[in-house]
Amino acid sequence: MEELSKLDLCSVSSLISTREASAVEVTQIAVKRAQELQPSINAFIQLEADEALESAEEIDKKIKNGERVGPLAGVPLAHKDMFYREGKVTTCGSKIRSKFKANRTSTALDRLSRAGAIYLGGLNMSEFAVGPIGNNVHYGDCHNPWNLDHAPGGSSSGSGAGVAARIFYGALGSDTGGSIRIPSAMSGVVGLKPTQTRVSRYGLMPLSFSFDCSGPLTRSVRDAARILDVIAGYDKKDSTSSQRATDNYEEACAQPVSGLRVGVPKTYFYDDLDPDVEAAMKAVKKQYAELGVTLIPVDVPDHDHINLIWAAALASEASTIHRKWLRKYPNDYGPMVKRRIEFGLYQPATRYLEAMTLREKYLREYCGTAFKDCDVLLTPTMPVTAPKYEELDVGGGEDMPRLVLKLSRNTRPISYLGLPALSVPCGFNKAGLPIAFQLIGRPFSEAKLCNLGSAYQDATDWHNQVPNI
Amino acid sequence: MGEINTAFVTLIATVWHRFTPSNEEASTLADMLIPMDLAGEEVSESFEFDDEPSDFNSALEELADVGGQE
Repeated sequence: MEELSKLDLCSVSSLISTREASAVEVTQIAVKRAQELQPSINAFIQLEADEALESAEEIDKKIKNGERVGPLAGVPLAHKDMFYREGKVTTCGSKIRSKFKANRTSTALDRLSRAGAIYLGGLNMSEFAVGPIGNNVHYGDCHNPWNLDHAPGGSSSGSGAGVAARIFYGALGSDTGGSIRIPSAMSGVVGLKPTQTRVSRYGLMPLSFSFDCSGPLTRSVRDAARILDVIAGYDKKDSTSSQRATDNYEEACAQPVSGLRVGVPKTYFYDDLDPDVEAAMKAVKKQYAELGVTLIPVDVPDHDHINLIWAAALASEASTIHRKWLRKYPNDYGPMVKRRIEFGLYQPATRYLEAMTLREKYLREYCGTAFKDCDVLLTPTMPVTAPKYEELDVGGGEDMPRLVLKLSRNTRPISYLGLPALSVPCGFNKAGLPIAFQLIGRPFSEAKLCNLGSAYQDATDWHNQVPNI
Repeated sequence: MGEINTAFVTLIATVWHRFTPSNEEASTLADMLIPMDLAGEEVSESFEFDDEPSDFNSALEELADVGGQE
């Protein structure tokens, strides 16, 4: 029955609902795998085995009694350790919050729970969700299942690594500049960053009021769509969440893609690619052409300015949130994380207000230019594959800013613009490390992204590759 | 004209934020701030006196995908 761990979320959910497998059995396998792989991958900060098994027993009873259960009934999920659960410790990957008990439960977790999902535990992450690498000075570094010497990507490191290692079937992560898409790409799984206001942020640890959003990391696009179907939608507890009706994202996965127009940016996103990434992207374009998609070269506005004002605004918001603690607990931060947050303290308010005021203007310009002749943009998620930890100066040396810029080069501007984006595995480099592409859409076009991403996965097998661990 | 350096960072931290960074920290932060400041100056050129107040979330709604295939 170990084979159950290799199935995707939708498949195992189907087996549980038809009683071909039990929630307890599936959860036991997940717990065992989590315990076995913890010393090597370090995906978990907190594993809640007993609680998970109790929940699984309840789900099995409900199914046996013919009670109605949700679309995620009995499926073990685990989440970046920054989604609050009332009365439970949520560390946020930090020393400062190592004993913090939340006074409320995140709406996203609450919706998953109501859909029958099993909560397996809180996952490793970059401290306070700062950094694209996946290291953590307090809880130990998370490791890439494809090669343990390599970084898994951050900041949702445990989410990407744990899904890739087939410990659990899906995870929530958060994305402020690429923190869902980068670990998805580096660990070889699917990552969906929704439109800024599509998923409630109530009960999510804040890093940036303006750019934070949460979304799923999964084995397939259809899995991500199913989770988004559960967590998306207006929440009166989050005044910024959109009241727009949600689409049926899983249903969109089965729609034809022939006739859709996919834009290939002429500048920026394809600059300075690793040769293996470049070759993989050529193959992706060929695959889409074979699926009947029309590929169109498109102009995109200047991204360098967007990146810089994103960084200025993010630092201002993060330093506002952390200012008290920077004074009170300066030595309880990792050095790199502290610096990246602290530098917002030295920028004038005018810089922040310019960045936020120009955001709408840049969004309008972007939609009017990049999406003028196409439905969706196709780019590499990252210009490189997962680096080795030893290549990285995670202590915060001079190369850190350059590295951060490279890993998140293709994801940051999309966070500033608040647009949805989907990262999909599309191959491996010569060293066996995953490569991924990114689909970027207009606001609230998640269904279209799921449609295109799923069509690619129906025609290819990259997402079914499993690391030998 | 002044410049962003260790002394500048230390002054801001001490006066506005009530803590004193080490010289090494202040120096690293100054190095991080310089390119950001130059770029910020450049970006601010596109900011106009008569720009209307911004409402980003409304713009997201207005520019939403219309769905379907064309």
